[in-house]
Amino acid sequence: MIEVKNIRKKYGGKTVLEDISFTAEKGDITCLIGLNGAGKTTILNAIMGLTPIQSGQILINGEVLHKASYEKISYIPDTISMSPQMKISQGLQFMDDFYSSWNHKRASELLDFFSLSENERISRLSKGNIAKLNILLGLSLDVEFIIMDEPFSGIDLFSREQIAEVFTSNLIEDRGVIITTHEINEIEHLIDKAILLYDGTVLKEFCTEETREKEGKSVVDVMREVYQK
Amino acid sequence: MNFNNREPVYIQVIRHFKEQMASGNLEPGQEIQSRRELASKLKINPNTVQRAYKEMEDQGLIYTERNSPSRITKDKQILQEVREELILQAVDSFITSVRSIQVPLDDVLELIKQKYQNGK
Repeated sequence: MIEVKNIRKKYGGKTVLEDISFTAEKGDITCLIGLNGAGKTTILNAIMGLTPIQSGQILINGEVLHKASYEKISYIPDTISMSPQMKISQGLQFMDDFYSSWNHKRASELLDFFSLSENERISRLSKGNIAKLNILLGLSLDVEFIIMDEPFSGIDLFSREQIAEVFTSNLIEDRGVIITTHEINEIEHLIDKAILLYDGTVLKEFCTEETREKEGKSVVDVMREVYQK
Repeated sequence: MNFNNREPVYIQVIRHFKEQMASGNLEPGQEIQSRRELASKLKINPNTVQRAYKEMEDQGLIYTERNSPSRITKDKQILQEVREELILQAVDSFITSVRSIQVPLDDVLELIKQKYQNGK
């Protein structure tokens, strides 16, 4: 489980995260929803230890993040971190050299799944294929948690559908996933838990099936209530 | 399959199975897809399928023998109940919509007979 407890962060004089708390369970897909500037990416960066926080605590399976945690959790940022002149095969080699949790077999499965060719140069790939490669790199680590920043943003419909398919396939297995999005429609049925953010605060945290069952409301219904007050 | 976003997805999955059972598309004793296979096919969360399967198992709609895939029940009474439940639901929703336009029962019955036979 990933526990985010009362984290606060300021950039200069501006408070960007104000007392953020939520949990993400293993085996669940947890979705951080909010407009641009709500703090989604900052929260992910904080979980990964990429940006300092002023107060609060983040625990992964009960432990504070340390060097070995990076073999338990993988981060798929919204832009690819590989150099554009590399071939896909070189990108895979780079990951293999860097992480002991790299799973070569899964990487091959994902190459097939996304119909990507190892000999292709990253700079020559379409935006949709770069997004797929980016996800491939993160998913091919044998980690318990995967964190994805806006995996559906700015790419074509068919690429989005293919990426959504990953979530229902055995490529995710029983790992815990945190994703961010500002566009919920296509993934309503994929997520277990939604966390609605606004201006650095959590407005609501709820389990999607429970809300459908008890209140007869979709995720979009709840968003309308919470955001249009 | 299209899902309604306001109704629990697992309940919609169970209804889908009941319809398949009542229509005979799924036969007694037939093996059903694994949790992952169905989640991929319907593009929904595997946890949701898991919940639907558990519920169906509790209701006796499917059964699982050790280390093998789940199967549709062979219990004739349960299958009959599923069929009756679906028919009743369909009739109820039909009556609700017809009542709202206040059509006399005899006219409706006559129309049903005509349409039902023409539709064959």
